[in-house]
Amino acid sequence: MRNVCIIAGGQSQWGVRQATLRDMFQEAGKACFADNPAVTNKDIDGLIVGSAYTERCSFQTHLAPLVAEHLGIKPKSVCARVELLCATGSTGIIMAYGLIKSGLADVIMVIGGEKLYTPQRWEINFSELASVDHDWDGAMGLGLPPPIFAMVAKQHMKLYGTTEEQLAMVSVKNRRNGLNNRKGQFREEITLETALNARPIVRPLKLYDCCPVTDGAAAVILAVEDKARHLTDKPLVYIRGAGQASLHNMSANMANWTTWESLKIAAEQAYKTARVSPRDIDVAQTHDCFTISEIIEYEDLGFCEKGEGGYFIQEGRSDFGGQVPVNTDGGLLSCGHPFGATGIRQAIEIMRQLRGDAVRQVEGARIGLTHNLSGVIAAHTVVIYGRDLD
Amino acid sequence: MNKILEGKYAVTMDMYPLQGKEFNRIYPFYEFLKEGRLTTTACRDCGKKAFPPRVVCPECLSENLEWVDLPTRGKVLVVTEEEVGVPLGFETPLIHALIDLGGELTLFSRVVNVKQGELKEGDEVKLTVFPVDPVSVEGKKGAVNLQERVFFAFEKA
Repeated sequence: MRNVCIIAGGQSQWGVRQATLRDMFQEAGKACFADNPAVTNKDIDGLIVGSAYTERCSFQTHLAPLVAEHLGIKPKSVCARVELLCATGSTGIIMAYGLIKSGLADVIMVIGGEKLYTPQRWEINFSELASVDHDWDGAMGLGLPPPIFAMVAKQHMKLYGTTEEQLAMVSVKNRRNGLNNRKGQFREEITLETALNARPIVRPLKLYDCCPVTDGAAAVILAVEDKARHLTDKPLVYIRGAGQASLHNMSANMANWTTWESLKIAAEQAYKTARVSPRDIDVAQTHDCFTISEIIEYEDLGFCEKGEGGYFIQEGRSDFGGQVPVNTDGGLLSCGHPFGATGIRQAIEIMRQLRGDAVRQVEGARIGLTHNLSGVIAAHTVVIYGRDLD
Repeated sequence: MNKILEGKYAVTMDMYPLQGKEFNRIYPFYEFLKEGRLTTTACRDCGKKAFPPRVVCPECLSENLEWVDLPTRGKVLVVTEEEVGVPLGFETPLIHALIDLGGELTLFSRVVNVKQGELKEGDEVKLTVFPVDPVSVEGKKGAVNLQERVFFAFEKA
């Protein structure tokens, strides 16, 4: 089988943007090509576009040809859109990985984006009713995810003694990591006190425990190894393995709220295909949509034992200098979360960490991991990257 | 809303499911709901009881399904109270609970007719059914048929 490399990545400005979805796709595409001047839009043979809310917030389907037209890309191997809500971006990367590995495509741009701020704020909360099982969970008003993750947090706290302070520490760390990330939504440090005294959203989750709603786009380019050698002057970064798993969709069918079984399956598959173990991971970007999410992800990705996630953050083991720095670019809590772009942002940060040119560099990082979750904790997506093939 | 859309129904802006038999093969669920029954489908071939109701058994793929009743009373396991970001059409704070329906099913349900701080773990709750916005369905020769709809939540028993 052929080897696949990630050779370029860039993103638009993220935040509350005075821009359309297509404006931001153009910005992200340009930033991606600017990251690696050795590759141009003429080198791309396939395009995968990710967006979850393109129909709802931009009234636009058939997105891939539109983005191709705007970026001067003339796809001949693949030109399609993918959607897996919050994990749309990493899903696009897995699809591109498979297409290149199989020989159906050589050089694919994966680009994802979301325009969520429409002229009236009620619309986004209302549109969220389409993200859960609309006919059952949506009709119960389970739109925006805070009630779901508050339910998770309450149970994790009860079962394992996780504290509100430990939740807040995740937010403090990720805000600090995102301080110098020019493209992120938030670039202000917060203290533990600020986080603990913030207004409640759904108790025990308070303002800083929750990632924001974000406009933005991001893009990466994947290439087959022999072409990658000619298309970049930077160190090669390989995709080493991936896994994606789902065991339920509707909340009623979520068997275990505090151990995410489908995350464990996706991670096991990714570790197996990459031939690494959790201890080998030098740097990770995990889906910190809420602070409790990152804590459970430490556990279910195998960075620590079940129930020890709270201590993992408290002891600094997910910080710089610790066992495995997590969300080194600020994560969703700091960068924001335009659904279709988040998985791609994670891939860009891991690529930079492994190339050695990240804003906040983990010294000597050679193996990195991204984790994306989507829906009512309904699907998990894990990708492992490496400077080496084994 | 644009003037041309005044008085129009758009499925993409509807927070509730279409319940009429012209649109939904599991319409009996809503008919039973109107009688105060909470039901789902069970497979006559393999015995699998699934929720939400199906037209194909997710275990053995049989279409030989029957409607069965679920308990309409349950016990609150965990409560959440949403104070910010509640979707239009729902009250603030929006209260949800994980409800154990006699060990048969654990539902993450909206709990109504209760104030913030009033619902506790261990509380008994019971099904409540209420009307929701009807749907205007276009018939022949410009006729408009109003389809009544219901949905459910739980309230303190």
